[in-house]
Amino acid sequence: MNNKKQKDCFYCVNQLEVDYKDVRTLRRFINFYMKILPGDRTGICSWHQRKLTQAIKRARVMSLLSPTHK
Amino acid sequence: MSKSKASGPSRYELLFIVPNNYTEEEAKTIVAKVEGVVSEQGANIVYREFWGKKKLAYIIKQNHYGYYSLCEFDSEKNVIAKIDRTLRLSQEVLRHQIVSAVVLSDAERAKIKDKQEQSAVKNEKKDEKPIKEKAARPTAVRTEKNESNKAELKDLDEKLEGILSAQDLL
Ligand SMILES: [Zn+2]
Repeated sequence: MNNKKQKDCFYCVNQLEVDYKDVRTLRRFINFYMKILPGDRTGICSWHQRKLTQAIKRARVMSLLSPTHK
Repeated sequence: MSKSKASGPSRYELLFIVPNNYTEEEAKTIVAKVEGVVSEQGANIVYREFWGKKKLAYIIKQNHYGYYSLCEFDSEKNVIAKIDRTLRLSQEVLRHQIVSAVVLSDAERAKIKDKQEQSAVKNEKKDEKPIKEKAARPTAVRTEKNESNKAELKDLDEKLEGILSAQDLL
């Protein structure tokens, strides 16, 4: 539990690929201030974390996610 | 995501927003027009999805709402820039984005949607806890009966523990 780096990657476990249109999934990896959580907080593997940050930025461009907290 | 081969068409997906000053009917004709722009360049449209009117996460050119539409197509790499330019100049498209996509069959697409839905439902159930806790607090103060108060406190403790462990996990 204390070892943060040994968490399971959400996308690997669920055998899902990162999709910028799937805002409901992306939302769990963003904090209250709409900031992207770092990899050690999300527990996502570095490969998927890179895909995730890309996807969140794409979702922001299309106004699916707010870039800031109000 | 997918490494494009040296030649031959590859899969792209286009998501665009039609501004809110059109009716849904008009928006649909604009969607058809945009798809016309895409197929005009020799692209083969393989999948369409009209999301309907959605609230924008932030205001774009004084629009609070927009009609989202998704379109997947196979195309040569060199025409993407042309499509992009045409859409950028169009007054009828508020915003658009073309990204490369993975080739999916209908069955695979349905499977992915299902998985996304399941994980979203799971996550939203988890999120309900703190909201319930907030709602329970004022009623717990107001109630004068000790018994109900105790029961609610117990409930709160349980919920709090749930939240704490959930935060540990995240
Ligand atoms: Zn992973």
